[in-house]
Amino acid sequence: MVPVQYNARSLLVRKTTTLATAFGIALVVAVFAGALMLGDVSSVLASAGRADTVIIMRKGADAELTSAVANDYLGLFRGPPQVSQAGGVIGEIIVVVIADHADGSGSSNVLVRGTPPEGVAFRPEIKIVSGRAPKPGTNEVMVGKGIAGRFNGLSPGQSLDLRRNRPLIVVGEFAADGATYESEVWGDLDYVRNSLGRQAVVSSARVRLNSPADFDAYRQAIETDKRFSMKVMRESDYYEKQSQQTASFLAALVTVVAILFSLAAMLGAAITMNGAVAHRTREIGTLRALGFSRFSILTSFLIEAIVLSLVGGIIGSLLVLAASLFVAIPVINFQTFSEIVIRLHATPAVFAKALVFSAIMGLVGGLFPAVRASRVSPVEAMRGG
Amino acid sequence: MNLATYARRNLFRRSGRTILTMIATMLAVFIFCVLHTFIVAWNSGANDAAVDRIATRHKVSITMQLPKHYIDDLRQVPGIKASTWANWFGAKDPRERVPFFAGFAVDHNTWFDVQDDMKVAPDQLAAWKATPNGVILGDQLAKALEVQVGSRLVITSNIYPGDWEFTVSGIYTAARKTVDRNTLVFRWDFLNNDPRSAYSKEKLGWMVSRITDSAHSTEIARQIDARFDAQDDQTLTMSERAFALSFVGGFASVLGALKWMSLVILLIMGLILANTMAMSVRERTHEYGVLRAIGFPPGHILGFIVGESLLVALLGGLIGVVVVWLVINHAIGPAMAENMAGVFQNFFTPGWVLATALGAAAVVGLIAGGVPAYFASRLKTTDALRRVD
Repeated sequence: MVPVQYNARSLLVRKTTTLATAFGIALVVAVFAGALMLGDVSSVLASAGRADTVIIMRKGADAELTSAVANDYLGLFRGPPQVSQAGGVIGEIIVVVIADHADGSGSSNVLVRGTPPEGVAFRPEIKIVSGRAPKPGTNEVMVGKGIAGRFNGLSPGQSLDLRRNRPLIVVGEFAADGATYESEVWGDLDYVRNSLGRQAVVSSARVRLNSPADFDAYRQAIETDKRFSMKVMRESDYYEKQSQQTASFLAALVTVVAILFSLAAMLGAAITMNGAVAHRTREIGTLRALGFSRFSILTSFLIEAIVLSLVGGIIGSLLVLAASLFVAIPVINFQTFSEIVIRLHATPAVFAKALVFSAIMGLVGGLFPAVRASRVSPVEAMRGG
Repeated sequence: MNLATYARRNLFRRSGRTILTMIATMLAVFIFCVLHTFIVAWNSGANDAAVDRIATRHKVSITMQLPKHYIDDLRQVPGIKASTWANWFGAKDPRERVPFFAGFAVDHNTWFDVQDDMKVAPDQLAAWKATPNGVILGDQLAKALEVQVGSRLVITSNIYPGDWEFTVSGIYTAARKTVDRNTLVFRWDFLNNDPRSAYSKEKLGWMVSRITDSAHSTEIARQIDARFDAQDDQTLTMSERAFALSFVGGFASVLGALKWMSLVILLIMGLILANTMAMSVRERTHEYGVLRAIGFPPGHILGFIVGESLLVALLGGLIGVVVVWLVINHAIGPAMAENMAGVFQNFFTPGWVLATALGAAAVVGLIAGGVPAYFASRLKTTDALRRVD
């Protein structure tokens, strides 16, 4: 038998203390949940990749940016029977350009992708959200919604220079289901590479296969081909590998922060519960005299601590939910030194973890005071402890 | 018994609570310092860049290269003392002992004159100039790659295909603390003569110049860029600091988030402290009534409470600062410099961060004590006496 109602009412009676503690815990839970979402960065980055699509780069290159593939090879990549006749093969050129932040906070690198006319159709998730699609063969470009407006020159109607007298004119803005494409600028393959003086090459090729299961056979066919020295990767694997460095760095950073913060929150909970126990010695003595066992008292104070933390956990989750609607976090992709904008995704899993985390903080913080409460001697307490 | 004794005894009437609160303060100060140390360490390379050096790169993109003859044009600009150039090689250790290090192909005749904070023994430098495939690397990188002067070293690149075989001609040391000790440089002509580098034949990545008068760096930078303005490849010249920042600058937002978090931890500390003080005040309301009744003015009550809060915050903060100084500057920092060099060579908490943390703790202590103190001092004597808790 546990006097749950007694504990719940105690929390309500001391509402200032309860709120102060819960709000402290809420801040920690918000940091923790933010950390979890930031740690999910790899899933954001990897979401551009499809299992039935492969990316072909020069052997030794880590990223599209440092790769170069001769134009002539594109036809050879189409040869093996595993290639889907509907999707086919596209070759694209990648370059990073420096752009100034619109808010005056310095500059970052932005990735520009020169794609052939069929490049947009190759990725059905690309949707124009404002303006229009660029006309093939021109200097028109569209900009991903993650970076649109963040940089000078990267909003519809503006332009950025790729080379002297070779401006790219922004005519539209596109979305890509949250994938990293949203942090890129897309223009015409030939226009971009002519501006760079790299006519006969592409950075990488993408090949759509008939099915994901064809990957091994196709990879075998290309990588053993003596006419070139190429590396074949599943597109999904490529993006996962791309994001590894950034993601593991962020994950390590936020884990340390979350652990340290949770220590502070547990101390806060411990102080509050300790105060509660000290205050209510006489009440606890009365409860013991009424027949509640030591174990009941222990459990009841633990529950009180957990409820206190859960209130904090819920407030913290709400804070994070609000933040996730407005906050976009730009991070750097270490492979290309270019900026990727991450939007925080407040998933049910994040909230579940945040609540479990807050309950654990309450449990740990409340343990020592609860033990103390259970040791109260009824006789001494009622005599006036 | 005087007022000070009363205040001192109050502090440890609930010694458990006071100690827990102090630990919380200590922890908050510790976290504050760790976060700021991280920010300082991340920016240290850029912040400590030499002021008399400027870098010139392609205006549009770091990945685009400039014609080799640009270096001769650049040297014509008045105010330039010495210039050199480098190409990014995208170096990788094929055995992956080092996750990341910078590898440059540089002009062997001028590189170490301009980068004079990388110190090489004169005989090693002479040997390098006589060895086409010679390489000079930082002492930490040499240790990690397990090579000495005279060793053979094979490096791969994510830009240029195949294995690249070098002979270690020398090992440089850092003349200043923030100079990267994990860089590898080899001769630009060796790269340029290799058929695998057709893509960057007679091209250079960026140029670094020492200038005669650092006060005029902005003016000199403008003159350099003006010189190439009519060319197809325009340039962007900036301080070495800005050049370094253009690589790590993309992380500004994460650093900004860390700054916010360091404020959040102060807020949490304030909540814990205010809660503790509020609990103490509530317990002692009756006593405050007695004090008022025997003639103490409200200001004294206020002083007791704020003073106690300030004392807890300062004591906790002081312990926190000492712990930071011991743990980071004498354990973690040196360990990182030894093992994670290249990532965090300078993970040390500067004095100003410690001072700021202590100051912040004091401010939080004042505010956290001030609120309950204000209400306690406003309480009417009769109300305070009537209250039984």
